[in-house]
Amino acid sequence: MCRGLPPERYEPKHWWGRVATSGNITAESAGARRLLQTGDSAPDLVGILGDREGRDEGEAPTVVALFSDSEIGESAFADDREQHAIRSALRALGAVLVAMSPRWLWVFRPDEGGERQLLDRSSWSPDGEAQRLFDAFGVTPDGGPRPGLRGLFVVDGKSTVRFAHRLGSAEQITLGTAVQAASRAMLVPASLAGRAGASRREFLLASLLAGFALAVAEACVPAPPVRDAASLPHEEVDLTLEINGQRQRLRVEPRVSLLDALRETLGLTGTKKGCDHGQCGACTVLVEGRRINSCLTLAVMAEGAKITTIEGLGTPEALHPMQAAFVAEDALQCGYCTPGQIMSAVGLVTEGHAQDDDDIRESMSGNLCRCGAYPNIVTAIRRGRSAMTGGSAADAGPKGAT
Amino acid sequence: MTAPFSYVRVTENLDAALDTATPDSQLIAGGTTLIDLMRLGVMSPTRLLDINHLPLAQIEETDKGLSIGALVRNSELAYHPVVKARYPVLSQALLSGASPQLRNMATTAGNLMQRTRCSYFRDVGVAACNKRNPGSGCAAHDGFARQHAVLGGSRDCIAVHPSDMCVALVALDAVVHVRGHYGGAGADVTERAIPIADFHLLPGSTPARETAIGPGELITRVTLPVTPFAARSAYVKARDRASYAFALASAGVALHLDGGRIRAARVALGGVATKPWRSHEAEQALEGQVATDAAFERAAAAALSGAAPRPDNRFKVPLAKATLVRALTRAREAKA
Repeated sequence: MCRGLPPERYEPKHWWGRVATSGNITAESAGARRLLQTGDSAPDLVGILGDREGRDEGEAPTVVALFSDSEIGESAFADDREQHAIRSALRALGAVLVAMSPRWLWVFRPDEGGERQLLDRSSWSPDGEAQRLFDAFGVTPDGGPRPGLRGLFVVDGKSTVRFAHRLGSAEQITLGTAVQAASRAMLVPASLAGRAGASRREFLLASLLAGFALAVAEACVPAPPVRDAASLPHEEVDLTLEINGQRQRLRVEPRVSLLDALRETLGLTGTKKGCDHGQCGACTVLVEGRRINSCLTLAVMAEGAKITTIEGLGTPEALHPMQAAFVAEDALQCGYCTPGQIMSAVGLVTEGHAQDDDDIRESMSGNLCRCGAYPNIVTAIRRGRSAMTGGSAADAGPKGAT
Repeated sequence: MTAPFSYVRVTENLDAALDTATPDSQLIAGGTTLIDLMRLGVMSPTRLLDINHLPLAQIEETDKGLSIGALVRNSELAYHPVVKARYPVLSQALLSGASPQLRNMATTAGNLMQRTRCSYFRDVGVAACNKRNPGSGCAAHDGFARQHAVLGGSRDCIAVHPSDMCVALVALDAVVHVRGHYGGAGADVTERAIPIADFHLLPGSTPARETAIGPGELITRVTLPVTPFAARSAYVKARDRASYAFALASAGVALHLDGGRIRAARVALGGVATKPWRSHEAEQALEGQVATDAAFERAAAAALSGAAPRPDNRFKVPLAKATLVRALTRAREAKA
């Protein structure tokens, strides 16, 4: 598992250096094809994939994983939890995952219900460019001496290789482990975030790559104990949470907050992390219909309770009245606090204590908006409340005196 | 990231769970203080006992007064019709604290156990804190002490007790009921009752010890006695912004008026002291007097007569006086 690492470990130069010294991103021995390197033009993925799955993603990055196994699926996703983690990380990047073995090819799009589109050997027979890739990454058919994930590279939207790594003989990690580490690393490198000209997607991509490298490095080199690790309980627990009317099974350490479980494990990223200390309200969700700060609740504590997140409130086609009111009243600027504002506003209406605008302001004091969209938020809540409660005189006027 | 710990959900056998409590374990209810401090590294229990599923969430009226279960959430207590009508200082204090989200989580017992907001206590990068690390010193003494106590401080600690609810409980003569093993392992579990004034401890030379209860004990309920003053009560809180901030000064008061004269008074202060502060000086200044503005001013002067402000928080003395006068005025004018 990914451990907490000092921030400097996330510096791109540092991790590139670390991986390079492990001897993997180097020229292959005589006769073998040179491994892909950062900055190279990508292999002809369109040629490899043909029109089966079509590289029709435009600017989307592609994560390509190469396996030796004859059965990719089993080795890629250890369990549902890993699948969720991968889905979550890919969604944040807008990326597509392409996994290949000499026998199988599949494409994984995080937001499609079909989950994976698998082609078996009857319609997939790598040749040309694909075979050269397998050679370069040391992939041998039928498992060979080292089954599992053998190599991985990432191509950005401009068909440039941004990262490539061949797993050494000692390295055995699952794709899920790598992507899970990547998703955790996404929040980290401030040095990259501030880089001039870097788009959000570029920033996330760089973070993803840092995460892959870290996962590989951690899998190979035992990290020093944080503090008397032997005496500390690291066990994970199996949980079932009822989220938005659906029962979700997950396995987390007790220290994982409900917020992190929602975002990182279940991929429900509508709930936002702001301060992580109960001070900003961005993480507001409803538990048994009551608004709470999900950052200050442990996921294990929420077992058995009915949880509603912004994803469970409405759909893009049929917005919840409070969501529609926020849109109608333009009650946001950057939008980061908005899911928390809306969940809190729904809680406010359900509680039924707020009468006039001053009450609304007081009752929304746990939700900060650094853009300062407060006037429109108050107006939207008045409008949303009217729609939720069937309208009343209190919601008609600007002061709503009753 | 929060250090790892093991987790146990206690559903039925509380006494067995108490048996296993150690100094390294913590009970968790709302979690609003504990998880925050664990994430900061200030607290690092190796074991959490989740008591949220114990049957301790009832509010019951008895002929002796009101019984409030340890797990009653702050929001539920604040809006309870009996509390609003007969113990208004408690409802007002609760609603002036934290945010609606936090009030939906935080519990009655948890609020009794709330830790200070002293920025030196909360910052593990600061070495000197006698609460966190006994014997290490007090960074606030030489640091920026704008938020710190003017009453009840010691050489070793001037951290403010942050609770609003506890200030109201002091004004209401509340009693804290605690369950635990006394007499060592194997001894029977028994309950004891602690008057609220004795529940929180002054820092003295042992600031790390904040309450009268120990690791093997659990708060089960808080009782509010029937008094002639609770119904005419009020809470006023001064802070840096209109809402959702800790008190710079607050006052919870209760008056028993007979005609215009004060038969009995309770005066409690928050935001200015190292524990929820009962001012017997102010109460004595009020009792027997006609409830005039001048009497309130004299009581406020008496309440702060022992104040020992520092250069950064000198403003708290006049602020606390004004806050107390306003609370007394509201209580006088309340319908009781």
